[in-house]
Amino acid sequence: MDIWMLIIATILAAAAAVQGASYVHRGVRSRWTMVWMLLSFMAQLVLLGMRGEMRGACPLGDTGEAMIFSAWSLTLLYLMVGSVFRLSLLGVFTAPLVAFLLAVALIPGMLDPNPPHVDHIDPWGESHAAFSVLAYGALGLAAVAGMMFLALNRRLKDADMQNGLFKNLPPVRELNRVVMRLLVLGFSILTLGIICGLMMERAETLSTHLIVAVFQWLAYAVLLFIEWRRGMPPRKLSLAAVILFILSLLIFPLL
Amino acid sequence: MELVCLGLNHETAPVEVREHFAVAADALGEKAREIIELSTIAESVVLSTCNRMEIYVAAEHADYGAKILNEHLASSHSEVAMEHLYQKTGDEAKLHLFRLVCGLDSMVLGETEIFGQVKQAYQQALASGATKGVLNKLFQKSFSVGKRIRTHTSIQKGQTSVGSVAVDLAAKIFGNLKGSHVMVIGAGEMSRQVARSMLSRGATDLTVTNRTNQRAVELAEELGGEAVPFDCWEGTLATADVIVSSTGASEPVLTASQIEAVRRKRKYRPLFLIDIAVPRDIEAAVGEIDEVYLYDIDKLQQLASEARESRAQQVRICEEMIQEEIKP
Repeated sequence: MDIWMLIIATILAAAAAVQGASYVHRGVRSRWTMVWMLLSFMAQLVLLGMRGEMRGACPLGDTGEAMIFSAWSLTLLYLMVGSVFRLSLLGVFTAPLVAFLLAVALIPGMLDPNPPHVDHIDPWGESHAAFSVLAYGALGLAAVAGMMFLALNRRLKDADMQNGLFKNLPPVRELNRVVMRLLVLGFSILTLGIICGLMMERAETLSTHLIVAVFQWLAYAVLLFIEWRRGMPPRKLSLAAVILFILSLLIFPLL
Repeated sequence: MELVCLGLNHETAPVEVREHFAVAADALGEKAREIIELSTIAESVVLSTCNRMEIYVAAEHADYGAKILNEHLASSHSEVAMEHLYQKTGDEAKLHLFRLVCGLDSMVLGETEIFGQVKQAYQQALASGATKGVLNKLFQKSFSVGKRIRTHTSIQKGQTSVGSVAVDLAAKIFGNLKGSHVMVIGAGEMSRQVARSMLSRGATDLTVTNRTNQRAVELAEELGGEAVPFDCWEGTLATADVIVSSTGASEPVLTASQIEAVRRKRKYRPLFLIDIAVPRDIEAAVGEIDEVYLYDIDKLQQLASEARESRAQQVRICEEMIQEEIKP
């Protein structure tokens, strides 16, 4: 049953990606991207509810669940931030990433069909996992906004105004602010996640996990410190947001 | 019932003639009501904007209806003024209305204001009881065509002059120009126009500099800005968001090293540079700096020309869509 819900959520996110891209190509705005994403979000919510019920804990027990949780947090933040910052186009860029994460969870072996039921729950551990994945959502969205900035920056530098994407993208200054705000939001949540991680019951074998997580936190801290202390060209900030998020995705299996 | 449209616009009549035919915005319904009291005319809508005055009527016979309408207008206007009127009947009138609502007959192609003006004219006529089946159906259809055209084409998008392209680019870089600082180097006519456009879009601070200080002072006064002597304008580089340059200098006025020197002080804020001078005032290497967006006159002209081509293509698409709607 949960696998069907995952398929539905993936199809809905893919529909948002395809439809959004076709509208952007024609230079027309579409509110449907938000609707598809909302429906996909609801399917993801039901799916996570099912997995949580099966585990008796926060559904972050295997890579498949981690992918679904990340897709969920990314969609949640898009639905919140997209409307607050009036960035409807954010969905067009977020949807492919959400569809990709959900599709990875569909790969055989990623999602345990019969996850073991947890007998003992450590609240710090649960909070650590939830905050960390939420932070991934915000930092992922910062990377998405960063990609939007890089795309617009390229068009402006090449004086290419006829493209549908150019017409729909928000202004440079606004995108730069959004990248910065999302980085601050993601970093703040990540900090909470790290604090909870330090408080949780740990076995010695988890030390690699902690070291990697702290390094990731430090990388974002350095980026934000440089931006705060001396400023940074918007292109470099966006590029850093994208690269750090890709690196975070790559080290995901270690976490 | 047959359809007749009688009117004049910015292409057929000069402003002094259009003034004579203008109807006050709140008297359109009353005027439409007055027209249906004429013999053979059953329905009417009167439209009056700064660029046009048009009367749409449904009459028993188009030719006779048009004759009566002409006579009615001739009774209050001179023979010379009457020469500027055009007359369209049947499908031609219908096509004209559809094109009008879509902004294809406007001075600024694709403008959206006309849609609201036609709607207002129709609503006043409807409220005064001057419309029935024929014009109600026609105008409602025209509004749905107008909406369809705006949704499915980008006729209203894209600027076609160098000045408006610059303003569009500024909007794409800064969004709202509110609080932005515009610096004008050289007090030429083109830079005056671009600066004025930037101010009209919300820029609040303006600094003007020119080799002849008196001209800088005059332009600054005209635009409500501040003049600075030509040998110390570099001091404003750190605060400027937009720089428009159009001096007659033979060597670059603004170099990459000057920008590099203030980048940190500017906290790497975006800088929009418009170089409309020939030979160019701004060193090409400036455009390679990350947060700097540099456009010279060739680039701006190329963008304006691309927008014109794109708009011509959109017009063709609109015309085809309207023709589809006209088909019985």
